[in-house]
Amino acid sequence: MIETIQLSKAFKERTVVEDVDLYLDKGESVGLLGPNGAGKSTTISMISSLLKPTSGDVKLDGKSVISDPGNIRKVLGVVPQEIALYQELTAYENLKFFGRIYRVPKGQLESRIQETLELVGLKDRQKDIIKTFSGGMKRRINIASALLHNPKILILDEPTVGIDPQSRNYILDMIRQLNESNGTTVLYTSHYMEEVEQLCNRVYIMDHGKVIASGSHSELLSILSNEDTMKVQLNQMNEDFIKAIQDIDVVRQVEETGDGIKIIAKKSANIISSLVKFADQQNIQILNFQMENPSLEDVFLHLTGRTLRD
Amino acid sequence: MISVFLAQLAKERRNPLLIIVFIAASIGVTLIFTGGTQSPESISIFSEEDHAQAIEEKWERLLNEGDENNLHFVTTTPEEAKEDVQQGRSDLAVRLFENDYQLIKSSNIPTVPYVDQHVRKVFEKEAFISTAVEQSEDPEGLRAEITTKLDDPPMEMEVASLAGDELSNYDMGTQLMFAFTLLIAMFIIGFRVNNIMKDKVYGLWDRMILSPVSKTGMYTAYITYACFIGFVQTMSAILIFKYVLNYDVGERLGLLIVIIAFFTFSMVSIATLFTGIVKNPEQFYAIYPSVIPIIPLISGAYMMPGTLNNPVLTFIGDLFPVSHAMDAIINVVIYDANWQEIIQPLVLMTLIGVVAMGIGVNLVERRTY
Ligand SMILES: Nc1ncnc2c1ncn2[C@@H]1O[C@H](COP(=O)(O)OP(=O)(O)OP(=O)(O)O)[C@@H](O)[C@H]1O
Ligand SMILES: [Mg+2]
Repeated sequence: MIETIQLSKAFKERTVVEDVDLYLDKGESVGLLGPNGAGKSTTISMISSLLKPTSGDVKLDGKSVISDPGNIRKVLGVVPQEIALYQELTAYENLKFFGRIYRVPKGQLESRIQETLELVGLKDRQKDIIKTFSGGMKRRINIASALLHNPKILILDEPTVGIDPQSRNYILDMIRQLNESNGTTVLYTSHYMEEVEQLCNRVYIMDHGKVIASGSHSELLSILSNEDTMKVQLNQMNEDFIKAIQDIDVVRQVEETGDGIKIIAKKSANIISSLVKFADQQNIQILNFQMENPSLEDVFLHLTGRTLRD
Repeated sequence: MISVFLAQLAKERRNPLLIIVFIAASIGVTLIFTGGTQSPESISIFSEEDHAQAIEEKWERLLNEGDENNLHFVTTTPEEAKEDVQQGRSDLAVRLFENDYQLIKSSNIPTVPYVDQHVRKVFEKEAFISTAVEQSEDPEGLRAEITTKLDDPPMEMEVASLAGDELSNYDMGTQLMFAFTLLIAMFIIGFRVNNIMKDKVYGLWDRMILSPVSKTGMYTAYITYACFIGFVQTMSAILIFKYVLNYDVGERLGLLIVIIAFFTFSMVSIATLFTGIVKNPEQFYAIYPSVIPIIPLISGAYMMPGTLNNPVLTFIGDLFPVSHAMDAIINVVIYDANWQEIIQPLVLMTLIGVVAMGIGVNLVERRTY
């Protein structure tokens, strides 16, 4: 759906985004992870057509958006990193303003505002002035303002920065709901590992303007070693089954655990189909299958020698 | 675009205090300064010449002759007079010479030119009379005759300033009223134009850019709004002066409205240019309010027309719309000019407006955060 090609940006000779290639498929939820100053916001600004890249391209359904930003703007909802609201106006007035400038049809505006307020859980506070809101509430209205026109793609720039865990969970649930129920494609920027781990199918890790790693959660974790560790929970097991698995050439080791087995295999090897096949042959049921891995935090540490929130 | 304008208006309505305070301030300041000229103001005079007492007596009598100007001159010692001025107990004092004078003042407050005008008039009149009577056989008789004739004209003496403008019957109060009203309008306009920058910094601007509203539409909305609020503020103040405080604003309110409209547009452009030059809204708040009060000062808005004749200052002053607006207003209000007579200041304001807006918007557009 969206694709960036060798996207780069330099401010006065200083390159802050360099050759970033990333893509978002329809309905995906993708994370963009990186420490302060990694170039996340700059990348997002270029994708959303607010900033012209120094070189490279951004494509929406194969068409460049740089010369013709109108197309992407139509389908895009952007939640900026800062609280971009009229502090003097009420939540309702802010939403009405954004609804109007985003051309929500007059007849639908009122119901859209109420639906959106419902979604962010602030319906009962709509008559209050933004200035009087807590940080978490402001963040929620900040998100709501980008949702009124029902965007197909939602880009969020650190929407949970500096707020309490409760608001944070609320926001994460809300985004998940939009992604799963509405089919909204999500690009989620953060420097919190846990959020991205919870929310996203795929992750890009950025540092110093470059994508240093990308892939699904487990793909990223497997960078850490040459091995994957899998925990398989079974209803029963037998010698033959374990033997069969041990004989798969990428499997290094099979350990019996209390309720199943732990398999250590070569990095990125796909053994699941074999696993399922053997289990089937032996009439064994796979109750649970889990990659047992360190967190993404460790991946970042491994790649850069620093922790994310340095 | 209309939504953007309305949002600005909604913000103002939520918080109308600023506008109200500003209107009140322009009225208050005007009352303080022009009210002062309504009641007799006592001004110290002194001389340090050899025969100081004679000089003091002579000029005290002449300066206090006629009471239409509400000024009262009192002889004091030089030390006392100077100290009073230095320590701000009085605005100014007059040092007398045989045939000349010197104003001792701490700052260029608006009453200074007013007093200066009166004192100069008296000295010029006296110089005229003494030259005339010098060769006369009967000095006393001639003097009496000239004095009566001057004060009671069949013979009209025209007192002119160096620049040649007429000074007689000049209503400084009205001029100050407009000068202060425009000054306050310049503040309001600046603050409202600066909203563009504020909204840029807070990310609201980017949100609007991503919306279907065009950039031209956005600039138009902000700029129209600043014009609107500047105009409303100025006209409210003028109408209060006219209908509540009974100030003389002339007979041609329609022309006044036109002048204010041109001024507002022109000033919004200057404020846009200013916004484009400074780095961020905070810098704007720091610099703009300290620069703006200087402009009416060097434009001569607080002084009698023709008082200010430093060509450099006049040139700088003329780059800003306030000098042209004051020019047009004085012509309309005091000299009852018709619209043809104010075309020049209107054209100049338009010119300033168009040029400053062109450069200003381009600079603002280039600022990124
Ligand atoms: N307009 C600009 N002019 C100059 N440098 C800029 C500009 N915008 C961003 N930068 C620089 O680019 C780098 C990347 O900034 P960016 O905001 O994209 O980082 P980020 O990953 O979003 O960081 P954070 O987590 O703090 O939001 C920073 O070093 C920043 O100083
Ligand atoms: Mg950022």
